[in-house]
Amino acid sequence: MKLDPDKKLDIQEVLNDLEHYQPRRKGWHWRVKLEDQHIGPFIYKDTSASLRQSIPLQAAEYFQHIDPQCDFVITTEIASGRFEDDLRRMRMAAWHGADHIMVIRTTGQSHIDGLIEGTPEGIGGIPISRKQIRATRKALDAIEDEVGRPINFHSYVSGVAGPEMAVLFAEEGVNGAHQDPQYNVLYRGINMHRSFVDAAESKKILANAGILQLDGAHNANATAKQAWKVTPELFVQHAINTAYSRAAGMPSELIALSTVPPTAPPAPKLRLDLPYAIALRELFTGYKIRAQQNTRYMQSDTREVSVTHVLDTLISRLTSADIQSTITPDEGRNIPWHYNNIAGVNTARQTLMGLDGLAELIELKHDGPLRDTVRELKERAVLFLEEILAQGGYYAAVAAGQFVDQGYYPERIGDGIVRDPNGGDGAATVIIREAGYGAPVCSHFGNNIYQPKTCAVYGGCTLCDPAKIQYIDELDANDNVNKRLQGPLAEQAAGLMRPEVEKFGDGIVCVTLFVPGQAPLAELAALEMARQMGLQNPQVINRRIMHPAEGSVFEVKGKLDIAINAATLVQEAGITPLTHEEIETWVRPRDIQVIAATVGEDEHSVGLHEILDIKHGGIERYGFQCHNLGTSVAVERILDTAQQYNAAVILISTIVTHADIHKQHMRHLHELAMQRGLRDRVILVAGGAQVTDQLARQCGMDAGFGRGTTGHAVANFLVRKLREKKT
Amino acid sequence: MKSIERADDFAARRKHLQSLTDAELQQRFWQLTEQIIAPLIAEARTHTTPAIERSVLLRMGFSSVEAKQLVSAMQQRRLLGHGAGRLVLELARRKSVPVREAGAGLLDGLYWEELVNVK
Repeated sequence: MKLDPDKKLDIQEVLNDLEHYQPRRKGWHWRVKLEDQHIGPFIYKDTSASLRQSIPLQAAEYFQHIDPQCDFVITTEIASGRFEDDLRRMRMAAWHGADHIMVIRTTGQSHIDGLIEGTPEGIGGIPISRKQIRATRKALDAIEDEVGRPINFHSYVSGVAGPEMAVLFAEEGVNGAHQDPQYNVLYRGINMHRSFVDAAESKKILANAGILQLDGAHNANATAKQAWKVTPELFVQHAINTAYSRAAGMPSELIALSTVPPTAPPAPKLRLDLPYAIALRELFTGYKIRAQQNTRYMQSDTREVSVTHVLDTLISRLTSADIQSTITPDEGRNIPWHYNNIAGVNTARQTLMGLDGLAELIELKHDGPLRDTVRELKERAVLFLEEILAQGGYYAAVAAGQFVDQGYYPERIGDGIVRDPNGGDGAATVIIREAGYGAPVCSHFGNNIYQPKTCAVYGGCTLCDPAKIQYIDELDANDNVNKRLQGPLAEQAAGLMRPEVEKFGDGIVCVTLFVPGQAPLAELAALEMARQMGLQNPQVINRRIMHPAEGSVFEVKGKLDIAINAATLVQEAGITPLTHEEIETWVRPRDIQVIAATVGEDEHSVGLHEILDIKHGGIERYGFQCHNLGTSVAVERILDTAQQYNAAVILISTIVTHADIHKQHMRHLHELAMQRGLRDRVILVAGGAQVTDQLARQCGMDAGFGRGTTGHAVANFLVRKLREKKT
Repeated sequence: MKSIERADDFAARRKHLQSLTDAELQQRFWQLTEQIIAPLIAEARTHTTPAIERSVLLRMGFSSVEAKQLVSAMQQRRLLGHGAGRLVLELARRKSVPVREAGAGLLDGLYWEELVNVK
């Protein structure tokens, strides 16, 4: 399957012949850091290979359109509920630099005792099934060819079906997985014996498949109200999962700690978060770090969230990270919208590019408060471990509520999570292995009468011979991708386009409204305005008071139930504007003379200045030689000057004062240029508040530009027109 | 059940750690952790679960639907402690049939009496 950047991902092609699709590689892929890499005008210290195709940061326009890629893997978490929509989101994220795609599972999958098959729709994530994984891996294989970098695909091996999920991931080429039995115990209420026994098997399977494991410790600071106080416990949770993974046969290079800087401004973030980050990296030398961004204190303002995430990313660069995970800035207000996945990825990559080579510039202090706090955190963690043993071990400690208490250990608030070792989902399902217990498969953990590779006696297990994998397509005749796609594909075929944020053509839009009134009333007004704009079910998803009396700004989402037919649109939209660089490269060596003037009895020349002046981003910046004759200039004089300079372009500004005088000026210019035999040699352009392109052309101009025109737009037209004339 | 409440007595509690070097503290951190996980991993070595057994059958070439039915039936008959994979493999050997065929027989309600001998 090969993707074309000018075409949408063909979901039917993804689904086609999935039964025979096999992943072309297995295991995790790291970016490779390149020392002193020359990219565009710069030398970078902390980058990896650039992409074949990507969408650079906007400011790259001024730096030869470079798109340097940092040395950290960048994660985005995807959770639309429909895998067919997730695939498009993954493609967009990959083009912005994400190479770790984490697919969130549907609510409740942890409690399903067995695997799900087919493609049912999920809530807050997708039901992870073989078909969905295989289709996703197939699409990602094509996407990674398109961008030119391997993409890691990731999901979750938790819940009561962990070992089966691990087998599924190993078979289908999933590259990373969350696996931490403590997550089951503390947050999913799954029986602790079951969780740990299952986990050893799961970890062995993941390890042998080269799948990178992430732990679940970060959930403690996503849960605690005072997240910075649970930091000693976080070391303990990381350690328990790490040591358990090693004991189950997982090598250190496949063990990644999932860590989050616990606070957000207005808290003194760096002072609180940095010692924790350092202590963690010191205690866990030799393991990988997956640096997550803070979610605990996310509210609805995406700008505020993004600043916190910039600081999180700064901490990653100040300490270390192997993976920089990103959080969509809208997670605090809705299920993430696809363009906010890209916003999150861009926050990380923009920050990391800006911080390139930071280690050459600054060093963290080796004494003083920073070191003192690092030491104190470690001691508090050791005391925590001592108390677990004093309580009679891990299970007894959980039963006593030792974990996720919000006190700064050894302080205890008394709000720890308490679980019964003999209770929970899957209780009493752990069975002792008989003396003759056997499991004739690869990647099995624990007592087993069979020798390794016993599976050869029956022709090999699925991990040795993928042809043995039993593929189930669909089990539900109604809840499946084919049914869901009928509507979207029909609209797509008809050339219809709807706005969307999450699922294909969902119609959701977001408008920003400042309302100059007191907050409660202003909010009602904002909703009514949205209604009158035609938005259905408008809801305020972000509000920020600018001043109690002067007004507030609101972001309002609602459904815009309209479909636009592509065939009805003027095809000009299909022309990609030339970049500033392309225009300048063409114009500067050519000495192109431009005569500009405001015509008639008009003293308003502001608009023309904006189009011409270098200071306003006007066309002078590209090297056009502009001669502005000023205001109230007669058409005859404009043409005289044009002849004098052998001008290629005449720009007139016509700001109307009465009747149709602007039309007369345009016609007069055109006719007089004809009479003088100049018309073929000179491009005539008119601008002004009442001018439209259509009107100007009717009056003999080559083009017209209305209100809000930029110098870039005019230059873009001129270069295309001048190029045409040359050929 | 409510967990305990306690003021921050770090200053008193840490006394025995105070004199440790950073390296010694680190060593203690990992020694304690190893002690905590030792009984957990021992339990995993000597126990199994329906999920583990289903994962074994998946690896032997059964579908998730088949694995679930087989393991559930073995669990009802208290046979899982022998290992679902072992039961199917040994049955296949006795019958001189491929493992999938042995499993299919069990799914059809055949051979269950023989499984008692297999173990």
